[in-house]
Amino acid sequence: MSEINVIIRTTDQTRKAEVSLDSSNTGADVIQASVDNWALPTDTDYSLVSTSSGKTISPNASLGDSSVKDGDVLEVQPVLVAG
Amino acid sequence: MQVGRYQRHSLIDWFDQDKVKRSYFAIIGCGAVGNEVAKNLALLGVGKLDLFDFDTIEIHNLTRSVLFRESDVGLNKAEVAAKRLKELDPSLEISVFPGDFWELLPINQVKAYDSVICCVDNFEARIKLNDLCLISGTNLINTGIDSKFSQVEVFPYKSGKHVACYECNLPISAYERMHQRYSCGWLKKISYVEKKIPTTIVTSSLTGSLATANALNLIRTESQNESIRILTDTFTGRSTVSIIEQNADCPACASMNDQVSLLRGSSLINSKFNDFPGHDIHIRTSEPILVSARCNQCTQDSDRDELIFEKASDFDSSIATCDICKQDSVEVVIKDVFSVNELLSGFLGKRIPTKYIRIDTENQTTIIELETN
Repeated sequence: MSEINVIIRTTDQTRKAEVSLDSSNTGADVIQASVDNWALPTDTDYSLVSTSSGKTISPNASLGDSSVKDGDVLEVQPVLVAG
Repeated sequence: MQVGRYQRHSLIDWFDQDKVKRSYFAIIGCGAVGNEVAKNLALLGVGKLDLFDFDTIEIHNLTRSVLFRESDVGLNKAEVAAKRLKELDPSLEISVFPGDFWELLPINQVKAYDSVICCVDNFEARIKLNDLCLISGTNLINTGIDSKFSQVEVFPYKSGKHVACYECNLPISAYERMHQRYSCGWLKKISYVEKKIPTTIVTSSLTGSLATANALNLIRTESQNESIRILTDTFTGRSTVSIIEQNADCPACASMNDQVSLLRGSSLINSKFNDFPGHDIHIRTSEPILVSARCNQCTQDSDRDELIFEKASDFDSSIATCDICKQDSVEVVIKDVFSVNELLSGFLGKRIPTKYIRIDTENQTTIIELETN
């Protein structure tokens, strides 16, 4: 296990934080922490994207396995359900 | 083909009107986004469209639905959309399916489409549609909106490559939300009010345009071999395009072999099931089955379970109340995986009440779409 320093932000960029995370944290962990800390609407679902790699991070994949590295920007994006 | 009608398209060097005319799409859901996608495809001059929607038009739909009028309130969305599309382009071949696509759309038919465009409003329908496209190897374009954002996801299943599917990145909370509609595992709640998500024509029209552009792109190039998500903030115009990563634990595609064979067969459980290679082989049904029920107050003997063997979604949570003692003491057995032995010994002569069954062996996934006759 190692620490990774990343920037987490919401899609509209109204919320942004530089944080140290354990590489064993999963995409779902990061989303849950963002929802809790920023009081994001709980009736919306979210997905995590590394804007540095341009790839999504699976909910159950660890940051380490998703090749997230120091300085990466992770964006918490809404998963839209209406049509 | 009317050359004059498409004169402006003919000036675009990459636009192959003949190819567009030969194309065939399904639009699942004819609400706000479905209206936009259907209108765009009709104006572009596609050859064939199949429209699916079980829902009827309500007055509040009119702020986001270019194909609907006040006089259409109460009519089926797919039928009205088809009528208006014929006015836009009388040469367009349209088939209308005013019902649930899961019931009306055979998997072989899904294979015939260039892309299926998903414009529904819930996770469950998206998961089911993803299943059908994944099995048939047909491109899926998924759309979603709210009052600010537009989302389009492209899953190029026709590429022949193992690409990420819709469920690969679906948040855990989406499954939790889906299960809120049910109780006791897949029994419908007697009363459940679906949350209404506010949307506008701004997000639906942008989403419809991007979905159409991607559908067009897939018939034009056929070179896309990664699943992508386009998320656009309609307030700022900021857009991100992300590659959707495959998920090794994906409930939909992880256990599916690259070799998928699609068959049709009778839903009747009979001695032909002995032909399956091995009686301990597992058969997964496309939907959970309510196998049996027993009141643990009135019936202590587990051998006296009431055999039901029907689709669990056909029942609601009222089944938990015993008709005799009026207590909420009925225990139900709901399953979606059976061994051949189990089916032959417990359900001989019954019909499997689901759309298909799936059998995974080491090198192959076999899907048998079930016929009721």
